[in-house]
Amino acid sequence: MMTSETKVLNKRDLMKVFWRSFTMEWTWNYERQANLGYGFAMVPILEKLYKDKPEEKAEALQRHLEFFNTTPHVSTLILGISSAMEEQNSTQEDFDTSSINNVKVGLMGPLAGIGDSLLWGTLRIIATGIGTSLALQGNILGPILFLLIFNIPHIILRYICMMGGYKLGAGFLSKMQQGGLMDKVTYGASIVGLMSIGAMIATMVTVNIPLSYGEGDSAIVIGDILNGIIPGIIPLLFTGFIYWLVTKKKMKTTVALLLILVIGIIGSLTGILGA
Amino acid sequence: MLQAILLGLVAMIGNATFLAGTGLLDRPIVMCTLTGLVMGDVKSGIIIGAMMELAFIGAFSVGGAIPPEMISGGVLGAALTLASGNSPEVALTIGIPVASLALILKNACKIFILPYFVHKADQYAKEGNGKGVSRMHMLGGFLYFNLPLGVFVATAYYLGNTVMSTVLNAIPPFVQNGLTIATGLMPALGFAILASMIVNKKNVVFLFLGFLLAVYLNIPVTGIALLGVVTALIIVGIQPAQVSTALAGGDEDDDF
Repeated sequence: MMTSETKVLNKRDLMKVFWRSFTMEWTWNYERQANLGYGFAMVPILEKLYKDKPEEKAEALQRHLEFFNTTPHVSTLILGISSAMEEQNSTQEDFDTSSINNVKVGLMGPLAGIGDSLLWGTLRIIATGIGTSLALQGNILGPILFLLIFNIPHIILRYICMMGGYKLGAGFLSKMQQGGLMDKVTYGASIVGLMSIGAMIATMVTVNIPLSYGEGDSAIVIGDILNGIIPGIIPLLFTGFIYWLVTKKKMKTTVALLLILVIGIIGSLTGILGA
Repeated sequence: MLQAILLGLVAMIGNATFLAGTGLLDRPIVMCTLTGLVMGDVKSGIIIGAMMELAFIGAFSVGGAIPPEMISGGVLGAALTLASGNSPEVALTIGIPVASLALILKNACKIFILPYFVHKADQYAKEGNGKGVSRMHMLGGFLYFNLPLGVFVATAYYLGNTVMSTVLNAIPPFVQNGLTIATGLMPALGFAILASMIVNKKNVVFLFLGFLLAVYLNIPVTGIALLGVVTALIIVGIQPAQVSTALAGGDEDDDF
């Protein structure tokens, strides 16, 4: 039950996360995308919750440097939920920490779908329409209104998501604890998380093998053959290869990144790989 | 010379959109206006900005895709057009080769410089050093691309358009192509690491389920995540009623 003892975080803490969330894409990288931005935003929460528990703090920091990507303007929804879950974790003995990332992974995809269409597809288009129509006449109000029309709703939405995410995380989770449903929720979250990852491998890892043999009409493209067996098999196998390197061969991520770069360049040079 | 430096600063402000909540500071309508300010012709800058904005209207980051380098395209396209006294329409043609070169620079920075900061942050996290993580984020973002972009734009303006095209043509296509392929492969690393944290013998099958649904039924990631929720509910056996009670009672304190 959420008694006053289990509430460690206050609005000021959440506001720190809110402001930090503005830098979400500042270090967007190919390996884990907005991971560093997410970790940065969570630092004040983790510093407070695990102040006297260095090992747990280290684990938590690493936890929030995992792959993350969603529409940045609404990332605060997930940040709020993570904050609530970390709060629970810090005050309870048997909290399953893996559920924290499961929830992140499960949510980031759908949230991106909704967020992208709201922010990029709708709000930005409205701002563009009004802004450009004024700007085409050389009116300084054009660019000014462009920025205001987008950013005022954006900031309000970001704030609502921050506070709402925390409330959602806190309320939902405490109920789950009471009903003894936590294990089920963890398992369920891992299902959602893994299905999302599987789908992301299929759609976000892009590579093809344009190599062909034979002449003219009877030319056979190897990439087509492989895709005929299972579409997207090349990204899947490649991800599996990287997974094996990282887990079984304990390859460091820097090395893996360089390896991918080399593979890309050699693949391009020999014509074995195509975009 | 001074103009070149100021233009570099304009580009850096544009890139700082990622400090400002991804608030569209990098869009041409803003960048070209500021460029016009630097070049002494705000009105033309605004008009060029509007035209480029409409041309780039489809360019934005969705999912994991990276949009073209429109900051340098906008700033240099507008600056070189205004400097040569050409009409605004020319800005796009001038801007595009420069933007292509900038994209290569951006990818090179993302591949060679940025990972240093990301991995240093990992190290700090292992030591439980939150301040270190924060520092890597703030410093890294500035050093890996914000500063290089400023230098690039300033230099490119200073050197002029023809020099830029020559440089672009000097880079062998297989290297450019290789970088493109590599960036398409890189998410695999992130996914592999992420999966390794969650996966076990019991649930690995769901990774394949998500993958197969995506490739055979072409269901978007959002749809599969939602299907994942339904699947999870079915398998775990939580009744919808229990879920809605939990969600509904979330804001109130209980008297148990």
